[in-house]
Parts: sequence; C-alpha cells; structure tokens
Amino acid sequence: DDDDDGGGGPPSDEDEEFHFRQKITEVDPREEAEFDRELRALMQESLESRKVEQRARPTLNMTIPMNIFEGSLKDHHGRGGGEGDSGDETLDEEDGGNKEVRVKVLVKRGNKQQTKQMNIPQDCSLVRSTKQKEAAELEE
Amino acid sequence: EETGDDESYDQYGKGDFMEHACKYCGVQNPACVVRCNVPSCRKWFCNSRGNTSGSHIVNHLVRAKHKEVCLHKDSPLGETILECYNCGCRNVFLLGFISAKTESVVVLLCREPCLSVNALKDMNWDLSQWCPLIDDRCFLPWLVKVPSEQEQLRARQISAQQINKIEELWKTNPDATLEDLEKPGVDDEPQPVALKYEDAYQYQNVFAPLIKLEADYDKMMKESQSKDNVTVRWDIGLNKKRVAYFVFPKEDNELRLVPGDELRLRYSGDAAHPAWMSVGHVIKLTAQEEVALELRASQGAPVDVNHGFSVDFVWKSTSFDRMQSAMKTFAVDDTSVSGYIYHHLLGHEVEMQMIRNTMPRRFGAPGLPELNASQVFAVKSVLQKPISLIQGPPGTGKTVTSAAIVYHMAKQGQGQVLVCAPSNVAVDQLAEKISATGLKVVRLCAKSREAVSSPVEHLTLHYQVRHLDTSDKSELHKLQLLKDEQGELSSSDEKKYKALKRATEREIAQSADVICCTCVGAKDPRLANFRFRQVLIDESTQATEPECLIPLVLGAKQVILVGDHCQLGPVIMCKKAARAGLAQSLFERLVLLGVKPIRLQVQYRMHPSLSEFPSNSFYEGTLQNGVTINERQSSGIDFPWPMPNRPMFFYVQMGQEEISASGTSYLNRTEAANVEKIVTTFLRSGVVPHQIGVITPYEGQRAYIVNYMSRNGALRQQLYKEIEIASVDSFQGREKDYIILSCVRSNEHQGIGFLNDPRRLNVALTRARYGIVILGNPKVLSKQPLWNSLLTHYKEHECLVEGPLNNLKQSMVQFQKPKKIYN
Ligand SMILES: [Zn+2]
Ligand SMILES: [Zn+2]
Ligand SMILES: [Zn+2]
Repeated sequence: DDDDDGGGGPPSDEDEEFHFRQKITEVDPREEAEFDRELRALMQESLESRKVEQRARPTLNMTIPMNIFEGSLKDHHGRGGGEGDSGDETLDEEDGGNKEVRVKVLVKRGNKQQTKQMNIPQDCSLVRSTKQKEAAELEE
Repeated sequence: EETGDDESYDQYGKGDFMEHACKYCGVQNPACVVRCNVPSCRKWFCNSRGNTSGSHIVNHLVRAKHKEVCLHKDSPLGETILECYNCGCRNVFLLGFISAKTESVVVLLCREPCLSVNALKDMNWDLSQWCPLIDDRCFLPWLVKVPSEQEQLRARQISAQQINKIEELWKTNPDATLEDLEKPGVDDEPQPVALKYEDAYQYQNVFAPLIKLEADYDKMMKESQSKDNVTVRWDIGLNKKRVAYFVFPKEDNELRLVPGDELRLRYSGDAAHPAWMSVGHVIKLTAQEEVALELRASQGAPVDVNHGFSVDFVWKSTSFDRMQSAMKTFAVDDTSVSGYIYHHLLGHEVEMQMIRNTMPRRFGAPGLPELNASQVFAVKSVLQKPISLIQGPPGTGKTVTSAAIVYHMAKQGQGQVLVCAPSNVAVDQLAEKISATGLKVVRLCAKSREAVSSPVEHLTLHYQVRHLDTSDKSELHKLQLLKDEQGELSSSDEKKYKALKRATEREIAQSADVICCTCVGAKDPRLANFRFRQVLIDESTQATEPECLIPLVLGAKQVILVGDHCQLGPVIMCKKAARAGLAQSLFERLVLLGVKPIRLQVQYRMHPSLSEFPSNSFYEGTLQNGVTINERQSSGIDFPWPMPNRPMFFYVQMGQEEISASGTSYLNRTEAANVEKIVTTFLRSGVVPHQIGVITPYEGQRAYIVNYMSRNGALRQQLYKEIEIASVDSFQGREKDYIILSCVRSNEHQGIGFLNDPRRLNVALTRARYGIVILGNPKVLSKQPLWNSLLTHYKEHECLVEGPLNNLKQSMVQFQKPKKIYN
C-alpha cells in the first residue's frame, strides 16, 4: 500500500520560508531554584552512596586495546573515500562555523570491547587538550 | 463484508505515536531522545529544555529519581546503556567522558570511584578533562542532540507544573498520559474552545473531548430509533441488489435519515420463515418520506412477507474517528501541514507570507461564466496567500469563484488539488463546475453512497472504475461482469477482483488534476498515502474545526476556506459540546484572529427588493445586485402582492403556538392553514410546485404543514406533494423562486427560540429569487431587535399586511420595544 506518495507530485521538502515571532519563554526562577536543589541532592546522594559501597578500589581494566589503533590505522589509510585522514578529521557542519572532530567511543559489550564513531565539536574540552598536544608534538 | 474491506486499511493516522516520542513533548527524532532504563519506567524523553530549566530527560530523571538511561538504536552509538567503561556503573549523574592522551578515543568513566583511582593517571588517559555527561541540566548535546528550534516549536509546550503533575501521576499509574491530567470528571463542563492554542496537543486536548461528547450523543440518539411493525415493499435494484422500501416514521426531533445511512432490517420469523436480518444502506428518500434500503446480503430475505419487520439504526463512528485521527496527525506529524499553516491555525503570531507565483493573465477559467470584479479580486488574492478566507453571501457565485481558483491552482503544477465540503450536495456542485473548466476531476464517494444517485455520477471514482475505457476486456472487467451476474465470486476470484479494483482506483485517482470529496471523505482509505499541498474547503463555515482539519493534515501548504459566517454554522446535537464552542467553525476563529475574509459582493439570486434588508443587516450594506428588477419580474403570475413592484410581504398572524405531539417542537395551526392558502394561490396563478419552497424553523410545524396540505389542499393532492417543505437549516445553500416562511412562535411570555439566531433569519430571507411571504406574530417577534427592524422595514414599504389574501390591508399592529442586546 505504501508504494508511493500518491499523485501529489514529488514532495520536495524545500525549506519553508516563514517567520515566527517566538514568544519569550521565561523560566519561573522559583521553579528553577527548586529544580537545581533536587538535582544537586541527587548528585550528592549518588556520590555518597558510591563512597560507601565501593570500599575496595576497583581493579583497573583500562588499557586501550591495541587492535583499536590498528583498526583505526586501517580506517585512516585503508579505506578510501577521503574521510578520516587525520588531516581532514575536522568536518564542516552544514550550518557552518562549528567544526567537528571524529572520535572513537570505546564501549564494552559484555566483556568484548567495541568502538563506535562519533562527531564531537572541536571546541569541546574533551578533545581540545588532545588536539593541542597533537599540535605541540607535531611542532616538535 | 464490504465495510470490512473498508476498515482493514482505515487505520488511525500514519505512525501516530512513535514509541520513542518524548513523553513530555512528543519530539520523536531518534538522535534527540533517550530511554529511561529503570525497568518499571522505560519511558523516552528528549534533550530539549522547552519551557523548563532542565532538559526533558534530566527533568524526568530528577523528578522520578531515576538514574539510568539507554540510547536509541538509530542514534550514532546505537542502542547503548550508558555505563562506566571500567566498573559498569550506570548512574548518569556520576558519568563523564575522558579521552586518551594521544588518540581520538574516548570512554565513559564514573567520577567515583574510577576517576579517582591513582593508577589511571599513569596510563594513556587524560583525566584532567573529565567531561560530565549531564552539564547545565542537559545531556551533552553532541551525545544526545537537542531538537532543532523548528522541532521544538511544533512540539507540545509542556510547563514545569505539568511535568511535576504527570510525574506524580506516574508513581501510581505508569501508563497515564498528559491527556489524563486534563480529563474532566463525568459531570464537569468540558473545557471551552479557545482563540489561540499553545500547540497542537493543547488543541487536541480541547477538541477531542468535545468530539467524543458529540459522538456519544449521536450514537445514543440514533440507536434509540428502533421501530417495530414496519411494513416493507420489496424491489430489486439495477445492480440486482435487493431493495426494501418502507416508512421509517421520524418523531419530530432532529434525526434525519440521509442517503448512505446504515439501517438493520429484522424479521423475527413465523411458521413459514426463519428469523432473518440484514444490514443495508439508505440509497434514497422518496418525497413520501419512504426510505429505500439496499441490502448488503439478500440471502434468505423473506420477500414474500410485507408486515412485521423491525428497523434499527446502525451507528458508525467513522466520521468521528477520522476527526480524532486528524487532530492526532496534526499534533504528532510535522509534515501534516506546513509550519506556516500550523502556527497560523493555532493563532501564533506569524509574519505575513506571500506565495510567489506567476499570475495568470486572466482570472476566469474556460467553461465558467465571466467573473465580476469582486470575484476576480478574490481569485487573485487567494493565489498569492497560504491561507485565505472567502466569504460568499447568498447568491454571490462562490462555487464559480471556487472553481476558478481550483483551475488556476491545478495549472500551477504543484500536484493534485483537494476540494472538499462538509456536505455531499456541495461537493457535487463544485465537482461539476470544476469539471466544466476541462480539468480532470475525480469525485470520491463513500462506499456506502455508491448506490446513491448523483448528478455527477460520471465523475465518481466507482463509475470511472466500472467504465474504464479499455479496448480489450480487462481482467477486472470480466470479474466485474461475473460478480454482477452471480452476485458473488469465489474467494480466490474475489481476492483477485479486490486487488485489481484497488490498483485501478489508485491509477484513476492519481491521474486526476483534482480530487473532490467530503471533508470526512478525505481520510478515505482509497486516498491513503496521497498528499495534497493545495486544499480548498467550501461551506467551511458549516463544518466543525476537527472536520475541517481532516483534509488539511494531508500536507497542506495553501488553504482556502470558503463560506459565510453570517449564515448557519455546523449542527451540534450535544448541548454541552455546543456550549463549549464546538459550533464555532475554523473560518470564524480565523476571522476572530484577524484574518480578513475576502467578500464576494454581487448577488445574482434575489429580486433587488428582497436583498435590501439582508444586505443592510448582515453585510453592512455591501451587497450589490447583479440582477435587475426586470429580470426578477414574475410576468404572467397573478399574485396579490400588496406593492406590485415589491414581491414581498409580512402576513400578520395572531394564532397561538402549540407544543407538538413529541413535546420537543412547536406548531401553529393558523399559520399552517394560511400557508396552504398562499400555496394554492400561487399554484392557481400559474406557479409550478418545484418553484415553491415552504420553510419553517420547527420540525413540528414542518410535519404539520405536510400533513395539513395533503389533507386540506384545495387543489390536486399530488401538486402539494411536489412542494418542498423543509426546515430553514436544510434549505441553506439552495434557492427557490418563491419562499413562504412560517415563523410559528406566538406566545406572550416565552422567547422566540430558534428565531433568535440572526444567522437563521439571514438564511430564511435569502432563499427566494422572485418573491417571499413571511407569516408571523409581530407582537412577539418585535421584542427581538433584529426582527423589530425587519418588521419596521416591511412596514415602511407598506408590506406589513393582514386580512384575507384576496383583500390584504396594511396592518396597524403595535410593535413592542426591542430588548437591548448585551454583548
Ligand atoms: Zn524513568
Ligand atoms: Zn521532550
Ligand atoms: Zn566506574
């Protein structure tokens, strides 16, 4: 039944041009304060509970598996398509200006390690330091 | 069986409620939502702040004290429960990202204890830049995207109070919805309609309960209409289907059968016949108020029996369901209408938008009469705007204007144009005019009305499917013949037949320039997946808002509402729903919101004397006459008009009103007797029955006049039977050469009920082309300001008369002071 879009012609969803006077939404300061209080309480409680629970320090299992780098090397040079080369790791976002960096997120599925690709803004503190260091190393 | 096929693909709006839509605001972009991972909760929330200080997901976690979440399977990381890479801790309030010192690798790590383990410092990780998952009361926007401004504007605008309330409710009832917060108690008055709505969810919250009330009332009333001891006359239709004729006596309440209604005919059985029942569709109502019912299955029908049948009304929820579904689509599907139309309909401030189209050189259309100046102006302005209102006072040619607009829209090549109206009669008229311009028109009728005769049968989809012009006899054609011959097909053939028919219907509908159907018909399963950017709704002031919404939510970017808010609005049976404002049309609300209707100003119906009062009282005197006195001269008709050049008079009646037998309506015997005299005088003077219309606001009086004339008419009975006698309301949109209006109400102390509505008076006064006679009691009517001015108008023109018809005299009856109107 969903074979097509009917006789309506090709539905091109060109950006609509219209201007909407957005009403200014004000957040009730009392509501905001109350919410903040609850949020902080929850943070606090979370931290406290961990301190109590985890008397023994956990054993670390944080080595970055080498195969990831190998994989990433393959990614960088093996696959064509021009993406992922350390030089073009910054991607231009459509809306311009806001450069992004491609990172690998390391996660565990059961006991297996996996990586997933993700873009994060270049100005995020998380990558800023890495980038700076990389740049510094390069200069050396 | 036939309806079974109907319903199988007649589902609620497409993909209405995505499971992963934010439970607060409805945003359903997979990149923007996360699921709360608490097993008893598992609700989805988005990462937008809306009107609150924290994002929706953070709001939920804090309010519900839930701490674990899972990403959507279509998000960049896939379906992933967020947890500490090292220890597996899932408390999102503790989690944050760290990155490796050299490579672009990041992991989630909990603040306590993993981040504070000293050994980690020696490894490849950079701990100094630990980046919390929840920052500024929002998830990291690069992990869970914040919905775009556009998405947020079209989402439900939920407040902090509502969030607190619903979170409270979820503690006892995890399945509660925001609608439950608004639900009125059984005895509460429903929430009234508003001028503006925050969002389409609020809109739905207001209208859905009103439609439900109306549906319940309609169901209750129709299902209580069972009749026993009905006498049946049997016949066979052209399509070989069995047709039962019988009189379904209606009490003088509001229920009126219309073609397409479904009735169940039952026979309880006797020595020679087993018990039997069948459902059928009303295909016509004869002038004698006999119902013709085409049976769906005629096997076993006791066709040699005529007496002792029972009839029940089969109530169908289809139209109400479609209204509800349209409101849902409007709220959850942001492609349902353009952003401009969405915000405009909700009363948000939107900057004027013009459509840049190349304008046609002339605004008329082939096959239509030349347009006058106000019609040309209407066509021209409508083509440039995304939303327009056209007000068409009586006889001003709104059908022709609408047809011209549709013609030009269709020529713009933006896809098929959808043309709707609440009533089938109006759709047929419009379809005919549009077809006259040479456009390819498909008129889509409800399946239940396919057997109902229509003046535009050749345009209907079912007719076009049957009369497909194929040189070689197609498979469908063969199967159709077989089905007609045998009445049914083998199940495999039936399957093949249905598939072929559906494909053919689709093909024909797709090749049309214009699709015409009722508003409710726009959601017909045969139009499933059709999209329409340009929609014109005629008679839109006679539709409720949710009804109007049905054709709009199929992708509308340009909407034209045609109607006249100075004539009668939609009929709402349930008083509670009417009080809450369901009777206000979308057209009217848009007028209140400041959209200026374009008014057609030249009327081609009424004798100039007849249009004078309506023009001054209802249209600020702007109505011009497109017909001359000469063109409306009743030549050769010898009728005792008191002023020969003014074919109108108010005939003073002093007879008492009575409550009708049913106790719910009124009648007036003196007025009925005088109606008969006037009708007889017209007939004797050479007027033929179909030129005359008798109208009255009360069903009790309507039934009484029908009865009275057929018994006491001075001429041949048949002549009176051919005269249409109807309520004011059912005469809207139509005309007659001569109109006789019986007002009925005549009492010292009570009000004048129905007559109080100025829009009803407007309709009553504007049906006649050549002449009008009004029968009523000036003493009673003059209390109401508008009637007072009508009476004064007649008196000033020496048209307020009394006495026998052959010796009418100016009446000196004293008017009462009109009561002040308080607004
Ligand atoms: Zn939860
Ligand atoms: Zn949300
Ligand atoms: Zn941890």
